Amino acid sequence: MNTTRHWPQRAFILSRALSRAFSDTPSPTFPLKHVTRSNFESALVELRSHVRAADFVAIDMEMTGVTSAPWRESFEFDRFDIRYLKVKDSAEKFAVLQFGVCPFRWDSLKQSFIAHPHNFFVFARQEIPLDRTSYEFLCQTTSMDFLAKYQFDFNACIHEGISYLSRGQEDEARKRLISPKGDQLTHPSHNLRETTDLPLVRVADVLFTERMKKRLGEWRDDLLQNRVGGPQEEKVPDDLNQQFRTVFFKMRPALSLDGFTSHQLSLIRMEEVKTDHQRRAEMKINAAVGFRHVIDLLSSENKLIVGHNCILDIAHVHSKFLAPLPSTAEEFVSCVNKYFPSIIDTKILLNADYTLQRKMKRSSTSLSSAFSLLCPEIAHGFTRNVLSYEPCVKVEVHVDEMRSSNWNSGAKHEAGYDAFMTGCVFAQACSHLGIDFQLHSPSENLTQNEKLQKHMNLLYLSWINGDIIDLRTGNRSAELSGSNMIRKPYRKILFKNILLLWGFPSKLKPSMIRDCICKTLGPTSVICTYGIDQTAVFVQFSKAELVSDFLNLKETLEQSNDAISHLHPLSQLLEGGNTHAASYETYKEICASPISKVLFADQAEAVGIKWKTELLPSDKEESHDNTRSHLESAMDSPQAVEKSKSRNTEDVVNDSSNKRFCDDIIDSFLKVEKIRRTTNL
Amino acid sequence: MVILIRRRFFGTKISPNSHRHKLQWSVKQVTKSNFSDSLQEFKSHLSASEFVAVSLQNTGSFSAPWNRVSSFDSPETAYLKVRRAAERFQLLQFAICPFTISGSKVTAHPYNFHLFPRDELNTGMPSYSFSCQTSYLTAMARQGFDFNACIYDGISYLSRAQELAAKVRMANPINLNHVVEASSSPPTVADTVFVERVKSRIKHWKKSCTDSTSKKIDDALVKSLQKLVLGGEQYGSRPCMTIDVCSERQVQLALEMLREFFDDLVALKIPTKGGGTQAVRVVLTSSKEDKSLLERELQNAEEEQNKKMRGFREVIELVSASQKPVVSHNTLNDFSVIHSKFIAPLPLDVNEFLNSLQSIFPHIFDVSHMMKGIGPLENVTSIPAAVSYLKNRFFAPVEMELSHGALLDESKIHGRTVVRICYLFAKLCSVLKITPGSIQSSDGKVLDGYANAFRSCSGNSEESLDGGIRIWTNSPRKVDCKDLVFLWGFRNRLSAGMLKSLLQGSHDVFSEEFDVCLVDKSCAILVFFHPNLSQAFLDVMNSEEISGSLSELVSEGLRAADYDTYKRACSLGLWETDLASSLDKASATPDRLSQSDPETKPAEIYWCNDLIINLDDL
Repeated sequence: MNTTRHWPQRAFILSRALSRAFSDTPSPTFPLKHVTRSNFESALVELRSHVRAADFVAIDMEMTGVTSAPWRESFEFDRFDIRYLKVKDSAEKFAVLQFGVCPFRWDSLKQSFIAHPHNFFVFARQEIPLDRTSYEFLCQTTSMDFLAKYQFDFNACIHEGISYLSRGQEDEARKRLISPKGDQLTHPSHNLRETTDLPLVRVADVLFTERMKKRLGEWRDDLLQNRVGGPQEEKVPDDLNQQFRTVFFKMRPALSLDGFTSHQLSLIRMEEVKTDHQRRAEMKINAAVGFRHVIDLLSSENKLIVGHNCILDIAHVHSKFLAPLPSTAEEFVSCVNKYFPSIIDTKILLNADYTLQRKMKRSSTSLSSAFSLLCPEIAHGFTRNVLSYEPCVKVEVHVDEMRSSNWNSGAKHEAGYDAFMTGCVFAQACSHLGIDFQLHSPSENLTQNEKLQKHMNLLYLSWINGDIIDLRTGNRSAELSGSNMIRKPYRKILFKNILLLWGFPSKLKPSMIRDCICKTLGPTSVICTYGIDQTAVFVQFSKAELVSDFLNLKETLEQSNDAISHLHPLSQLLEGGNTHAASYETYKEICASPISKVLFADQAEAVGIKWKTELLPSDKEESHDNTRSHLESAMDSPQAVEKSKSRNTEDVVNDSSNKRFCDDIIDSFLKVEKIRRTTNL
Repeated sequence: MVILIRRRFFGTKISPNSHRHKLQWSVKQVTKSNFSDSLQEFKSHLSASEFVAVSLQNTGSFSAPWNRVSSFDSPETAYLKVRRAAERFQLLQFAICPFTISGSKVTAHPYNFHLFPRDELNTGMPSYSFSCQTSYLTAMARQGFDFNACIYDGISYLSRAQELAAKVRMANPINLNHVVEASSSPPTVADTVFVERVKSRIKHWKKSCTDSTSKKIDDALVKSLQKLVLGGEQYGSRPCMTIDVCSERQVQLALEMLREFFDDLVALKIPTKGGGTQAVRVVLTSSKEDKSLLERELQNAEEEQNKKMRGFREVIELVSASQKPVVSHNTLNDFSVIHSKFIAPLPLDVNEFLNSLQSIFPHIFDVSHMMKGIGPLENVTSIPAAVSYLKNRFFAPVEMELSHGALLDESKIHGRTVVRICYLFAKLCSVLKITPGSIQSSDGKVLDGYANAFRSCSGNSEESLDGGIRIWTNSPRKVDCKDLVFLWGFRNRLSAGMLKSLLQGSHDVFSEEFDVCLVDKSCAILVFFHPNLSQAFLDVMNSEEISGSLSELVSEGLRAADYDTYKRACSLGLWETDLASSLDKASATPDRLSQSDPETKPAEIYWCNDLIINLDDL
């Protein structure tokens, strides 16, 4: 077993050696601070003081995966609420393996930032049996493979990772502790079991026990608060507690002389044993809270948190350490804002500001490219580039006793190093924005800085669409067009016009589906089709009523099982009898499900969709409508959105909105209908 | 969990042989880097051996307590449970050991293959994602499992079904020369036109190719111009031409027509990504020898591709092809995983699964089932416990001889369970007086009683997971599924004993002998030892008027359901955390099972005669 204890270090050395081989300059190569179970306590104490002194704290994390199914990836056709559901699904299913925390402090004497990169290995173990359900998490094969390519140390994580309890779990554990029924936490000793059998019969007894209970409870709570507050405070405990403790432990014989009856004494002892057990359990809970102490620290210190494209990171923090993720983005945002009032996303910063855009020379705003462009001195170890007209912000790295002003020995995609890079990018970006750290006094708070205000608390809900959410208000906005020169302006998407199709024959490609529908509903009816995966597709119609037209037509075709319906252009699409169609709202329903099947069609089935065609209600407005589509929805003609089940072929023909039908199709329909009627009569 | 792990940890110290040095069995560890060499070695070891033992290491097995297979599971529900686990979790280590028993000597060749479902071909296969149970990973970590080696260097694979899908998706050209069949229908005018047109094109192209080669034009410009004019392409170093086709019918016609050119032409099918045919490509070879050379090249390329796709599955295919008996300790679990990862997705029906499995592995032995042959009451479930049990009661010396020699490096300890299975199997054969040699001669008849044992025994073999020994104080009793009732909605933290005493005297049906055991904290099983009482009880629960203390329990929320509801919960995939909520949902959905397939009923009754309720759990 001893050999296995050593391999984390071995792996560290390996990854360090690799990074050393790639960096050509002789920059000092001490590793960043790796924190595992064994050094967590001491690292936390240090981190506490670093965070307290910091101007901002950069964070980053590595997870076991990003999307639980291919169709859960971010699409252009994702509405705002869907995007949140996708983030939520990811944060709920995958585990955080590494958490990088890097406090940055401006040192006015050295004219440089001091960074303390920490790399926490995190692994949720079941240290306290809260309930009997197992801890389970998902791994995305490609993500694991990606991490492996960057020499990620899975062994360090699973063998030595720090466990944690969320706030909810901690509360649950405490509740169990207090609840009189007792449970696994307070394993009652033989002694206790004897004393608990003592019946409390007399009123006086009950009062006495309650009084003692109250005093003990107060004492316990105070003790606990101290523990949460930090170990240094333990040295100066409350006078009362001190006294009580002395009384409790040392002066008990005196107490008994003070006129306690033996009955009362046994009552005290009962409480005492109980309290002792509770205290031990409390300490166990405290230890089990583990890594969440770091999150609590970041939250309680109210520091500016800096991340890079960090919505998923924040969602992970919420779901793992605060509480289960709420069902809407608005609730999520207000909760995050409560715990972390100031967050800056460097990706927003880089894309929003014109001067920074120019600095970035239109290159990608990925973390590593931003780092090497904005902080070449740190990234490549250039000693004072002559060509650069603006001086770079200096960053000195401190890890334990070692320090370096051109440190570059982290491995990419190691959370601690990524957090360091994020912080460096942020510091440099601030300098380009005109924030002069040399004039910066320690008392000045970055969170109040005017120049940062317009970027504060904005996160990309989805980078693909440039949808931004404001954490203070929950308002969302599209990225300012023109602010980013790399991207095309976004098309406005009317979600009312979108149809969801799945389960069609696998040989059909999105373009073929488009042709197929155009043949039926007119050449201009479909704006575009967009493949979700090989089993599902979005069809964007030019008008909202075409969605219901299509659904109605599909329903009609499937109910009449005659030769003509087989000749219909849509029959190609309906072949196999497993083609489902629905409006955009069904997509939301499917995305909200906790199930994740690999194929969309399987997912829809697993979610429990039994119908084949969703029939839209006639006059009711969709409740979850996008604001952008409100304009369009006014155009919906009521007769077009009629319920299709009541419709027969005649209605289809009479309907004014159906002129798009090929005439011959209608004719043939009528013929069949006539034949059918005559035979029926 | 802590207790469980510790037990398992100590379990590894139980030696099948008292000499310590013999404990240190060395197992060949195989990763991506030494896979192809080891495969050759394994092949020869396999052909020289009589049996193959397997043992698997997964990332988890059940998400909620009731999701694990228990003694009250019928084959259907047990299968549904292991099916879910096999689909959810990932296989990380596959230990396999070809071995031979001759007298008291066992010659074993243990291998431990490290697997990781890496997407080597960029097809999203073999597995997009998988679940991990932290407790499993922690337990593996305690045994010194090297996750880095596994994820960095694990061998990937594709199942048979996935390989087919991948081939379609990768759309590699397929040699068509050997697959020509006469067309069934007479040619239409369009067909004739098509054939004539293609024929003339090919003649023209062939002529120009042979002309140009004879003229030996070396000028690159002329060559490329010629290519442009003739529309000719190159396939490797050989000229080729593409015939576009619109249907499979045209493929057929083109091939028939090409038959007359088969002396020096090789036809290749260019599939579309969807599986159809996009075009037929004709490659011109310079001679008969050159043609066979090209065909060999194509075949080699295909084999190479197949090998790459199969990855670790090659081992499974070898074992399957050898038709050698496979020995396992956890057959239902192990073979559902093997089926789902290496053969095809698991079917919904247990019989379908067993039939499919039978065709791949005709002889399967479950050592825990064989243990039952020794003492039906002694339900010894973990391998070390079984070994020490046999050692204490029987004299059956077994001498192990391992191909990879003594242990030098501590990293070779992984996958030793498989050697223990060999050892245990040999001991069991000796105790049960089975001569393994006779299996070959008499075609497995001797061991037939034990082969494929999990057909009849599904429940108890699964207990081995926790490595515990279950001591049976009371004698087990056979109970019919019909006499079981699921109860839920009772007060929190009620023990089985308390529930039983609450029920006792609450109604007349409880006047006869019955028992209660908890499935999880939300749900209990009620066993009636007298027939028809369960139905009577369910009728009472469904009726409007409930009297006595039972009505109090019902008003508190007590609910009851029969075994079919439980079955439905499993087959509908309602794997909620609490069995109570699953049963709630299952009773809300209409009963479709009983009407749709009444023929499954007899099988269930047959099995139920074998159902064992462990009274110690009650």
